[in-house]
Amino acid sequence: MTDDRESILSRVRGALAPLHERAPLPAYDSEIAVLRSLLAGRDLAELLAERMRRVNGLALTSPAAVVAHLRAGGHRHGYCDPALWPELAPHFADGFTVETRFDRTRVDEYAFGITRAAGAIAESGTIILKDRTTSSRLGALAPWVHIAVVSRADIFGDVTQAVAALGEDRNVVWCTGPSKTADVEGILIEGVHGPGEQIALIVP
Amino acid sequence: MKGQAIDRFAATLPAETRASVYQSTKATHEKRTRLLFDQFADPDRLRALAGEIKQHAIENLDTYLPQAEARLRANGAQVHWAGTAEAACAHVLRIMRDRGATKMVKAKTMVSEEIELADYLGRHGIEALETDLGEFIIQIDHDHPSHIVRPIIHKNRREIATSFEREGLGAYNDDPATITRRARHHLRHKYLAADVGLTGANFLSAESGRIALVTNEGNSRFSVAATRCHIVLVGIEKIVPRDRDLGLLLNLLGRSATAQDLTVYTEFISGPRDPAQPDGPEEMHVIFVDNGRTEVLAGECREILRCIRCGACLNVCPIYRQASGHAYRSVYPGPVGAVLSPLLLKENFPQKADLPKASSLCGACHEVCPVNIPIPDLLLRLRARAKEENVPSPGTPPMGPWALLASQPTAWRAALVAGRALNVLPTRLIPVPALQAWTASRELPGWRGGEFRRWLKARRRPAPPAR
Amino acid sequence: MLNRERTPLTGRRVQLMATCLCDAFYDDVAAATVEVLEHAGVEVAFPEGQTCCGQPAFNGGDWPASRRVVRHTVRTFAGEDPVVVPSGSCAAMLFHGAVLEFEREPDAPAVEALGRRTWELADYLVNGLGVRAWPGRYPARVALHRSCHSRGSDSVAAALTLLRSIAGLEVVEFGEPEQCCGFGGTFAVTFPHLSGAMGQLKLDHVRAAAPDVYVSADMSCLMHLGGLAAREGRPIRTLHLSQVLRDALRGGEAKP
Repeated sequence: MTDDRESILSRVRGALAPLHERAPLPAYDSEIAVLRSLLAGRDLAELLAERMRRVNGLALTSPAAVVAHLRAGGHRHGYCDPALWPELAPHFADGFTVETRFDRTRVDEYAFGITRAAGAIAESGTIILKDRTTSSRLGALAPWVHIAVVSRADIFGDVTQAVAALGEDRNVVWCTGPSKTADVEGILIEGVHGPGEQIALIVP
Repeated sequence: MKGQAIDRFAATLPAETRASVYQSTKATHEKRTRLLFDQFADPDRLRALAGEIKQHAIENLDTYLPQAEARLRANGAQVHWAGTAEAACAHVLRIMRDRGATKMVKAKTMVSEEIELADYLGRHGIEALETDLGEFIIQIDHDHPSHIVRPIIHKNRREIATSFEREGLGAYNDDPATITRRARHHLRHKYLAADVGLTGANFLSAESGRIALVTNEGNSRFSVAATRCHIVLVGIEKIVPRDRDLGLLLNLLGRSATAQDLTVYTEFISGPRDPAQPDGPEEMHVIFVDNGRTEVLAGECREILRCIRCGACLNVCPIYRQASGHAYRSVYPGPVGAVLSPLLLKENFPQKADLPKASSLCGACHEVCPVNIPIPDLLLRLRARAKEENVPSPGTPPMGPWALLASQPTAWRAALVAGRALNVLPTRLIPVPALQAWTASRELPGWRGGEFRRWLKARRRPAPPAR
Repeated sequence: MLNRERTPLTGRRVQLMATCLCDAFYDDVAAATVEVLEHAGVEVAFPEGQTCCGQPAFNGGDWPASRRVVRHTVRTFAGEDPVVVPSGSCAAMLFHGAVLEFEREPDAPAVEALGRRTWELADYLVNGLGVRAWPGRYPARVALHRSCHSRGSDSVAAALTLLRSIAGLEVVEFGEPEQCCGFGGTFAVTFPHLSGAMGQLKLDHVRAAAPDVYVSADMSCLMHLGGLAAREGRPIRTLHLSQVLRDALRGGEAKP
C-alpha cells in the first residue's frame, strides 16, 4: 500500500509557491474571547454552579446531597472510582450497590458513575476529565447519571485558561451539561449516548 | 428539462419539509445571533481574527502538516496520508484488516461522507455503523444528510418512528424522547461490540498534534471509550497553528453551530489512551485526507478551506431555507457547499457549476461565518469560471449584447426610447426569456426610458447652473 | 465586509449616477435624488454618457462583458468629483464587485479609484456631508427595506438616521429584516421559484407590520416586491428613500 505523503506535500508546496506573501499569524490577546463581565468578582465555584444550571447540569457541594439526589431519582446501582470510594462510602447507606470496577458486559446495570474530574470551567459550566485522573472512561459516560468530583482549586475561570492547561495528557474531554440531541424536529432530548444528568460534586 | 435544477427541486419540495427546515434554521440562526451579541462587544472582530488564523494555517500547510505529523507520531499515533477518497478508504480497510477487525462504530464526520466510507467498507464486508442519532436514521433509511450539523432536518418524527419500527427497534412510537432512548439502548451495545471507532476532527493543532473533536450526543466519546482502535479522518485544512487558537475557534464553533457556549463534548486527543486508563484505544491512526483540497488551495477560492463546518451559513441562507439540503446534490449543502462541492470535483466542476448560481448574493453567509469567509465573492469567482469553461446555464440571460449596448451611450439612449414598445406590446408576445420569467409572477412597471434625462434638461434650460 | 476605503470629500459637487433602472423605469427617483442633493447644497452634474454599472454581467459570471461596461463607466465618471448613486447595489458594484473582477487587469487602479469616490445616497448625505436631521414633514408609518448590498456598510444606519429625524415619520419594524427579498439581479429570472418564494416571505413580514410606505435605498428590490404584490392583486406602496426625503420637503406624502 503506497502512502501519498510526498505527493500531497508536493501539491501543497506547488499550490503555495505562487503566493507573493502568505497570510501572517495574527497576534492577539486570548482575552478577546473571555466573558470577562461574567467572571468579574465572582467566586468560581458559585459561577460554575450557575453556569452548569444554564446547560441543564447540576452542581452540588456535599456527598449527602449527591446521595439524596440519587435516591430521589431511583438510581441505586452505580460505579465509583476506587480511589474516591473510601471517602464516599459512609454517605451511601443501605439500598445502594456501588462497584469500583466498571464491568462493560453489564453496561445497562449502572445507573450512575462517580469519577474524579481534572478540573472545571466556570465560564461555560464545563467539567474536565483527563485519562490520568479519570478511573474509567466508560464509567463516566455510560451510566445515566455522571457525578464528577471537582476540587475548588481546580476550577478555571474561562475556556482560554483551560486550553492553556491541557497539559501532557493524551486524552482530555470537556463535558458541558448532559449528552443531548436536537436531531428529531429540533426538540431537545438529553441522555443520547452519554449521561442524561451531569453533576459536579464540588469539594474543598 | 427547463430551468435550474435547484429551482425545480425547491418548487417540488413538500410544504411540510420546507416549513420545518425554515423554522429550525431560523430559530438556530436567531439564537446564535442573540448569544454572540449578548456575550461579546464585537463578535465580528472574533470572526475576523479566527478567519485570519485559519487563512494563515492553510497558507502554511507545508510547515504545519509535517509538524502535526511529527507530534502525533511522538505521541504514539500512526499517521497516514491519503491523496484521494479511494486511498483514504483503502487506508481504513487495511488498518481494520491488519487487526482482524470487522465492526466499526462511526461518529459523525463530514469527510467520511465525502469519501463514502461506510458504503466502501460495507462492500468489503465490514459493518460501519453510524452512531450520531441523525446519521443513524439516515443510514437505516439509505438516505442522505441534508444539513452539516442537523442531518435529518428534512425528516419528521413520524417518518423516523416508522423507520424504527421497520428496523425492529420497537413498536411505532413517535415521541422524540422514546426514539432517543431506543437509539441509546441499541447503540451502546454496538459500541461495546465494535473493534474500531472512527471519528473526524474539528481541528488539529500543529503545535501539539492534538485533535479537537466536538459532539453534543457523546457518540464520539463512546466510540473512543469502548473500542481498542481509533481511526481519525482529518481533512488537511483542519490544521490550526497552536493549542491557544483552539480556545478562540471552539468558542466560535459551538455558538455558530448550535448557539451553545461550548458543544457538550469537546475532546482533545493526541494519542492512544494513557497506560493507566482501562478504557479506550491502544492504537490510534490519523489519516490526513487531501481529496481535492490541494487543488482548492492552488486556486482563487482557497478561503473556503477555512470552513469549520458549523452550518451557520446554511441556517441564515434564504435559498437553503427554501430548498433544503438535498437540492445541492452534495455532501456539503448551502452556501459553503455551493463553493466547496464543485471545487472538490476538480475537472468535473461543470457537473455542479450550477450551485454557485443558486444565490441571490445577499451576503448573509459572509456576515455569519465564524471564519469570515467571503462566500459571495467565491460564488462569483465560480460563476466566472463556469462562463469561461462554457458550462451551459439554463435561464441565464446572455450578457454580450447588453454589454455592447451599455458601452455605447448613443445606442443606449436609443434603446431607452425604443423600450417604450414594452408599454404597448403584450409581454407574452415578446420572445425574451428573462422578460417571460419576470412577468410569470410579477408585474413589470411602466417603461419610462429617457424621461429623467428629459426632465433634467427641461429643468436646467431656463437657468443653467453657473460654473 | 465589502471594500470600503474612501477618498475624503472636499467640495460640494457630485456626479450623479442615475442607475439603469431609474433611466428605464424610475425617473422620479432620479429626479428626487437631484432635488434632495441640491437641497443639501450640492451641485449635481449628470454625465450624459452613463449607462449601467456593469453588475448584471458581473453577477451572471460574464466578467469580460462586465469589465467592458465598467471601463465605460470609469471613462464616463472621470475627474475627481464623487459619484453619488441612489442604489446601494450599484454603489457596491463599483466599490467592491468591479474591484474583484479587475484584480488581474492593468487598469485596476482606475477602477479602484472610482470605487473610493462612489457613495450610496444616504451614506453620502449622512457620513459624507454630516447631515443628521432632515427637514420638512412626512406623516406616515414607514418600513425600511434592508437591501443586501448595504449589508455591512453604513447605508442602513444612515437611512434610518434620516428617516427618524423627519417630523411626523414613524419607522416601523418588521420580521427578519436582514433576510433577502429574492431579487438578486438575474437570480430573479434564473431561479424564479426561489426568488418568488423569498419575496413572498418578505411581503408577509412587511404586510404584518402594516406600514403606509415601504421604503428602500434600492429600486431593484422594490421592483421585484412591488411586482409580486401587484400581481397578487394586493399591491404595497413602495418609494425610494430619495422620494421620501423630497416629499418631506414638500410637507408630506404625495398622495397616489
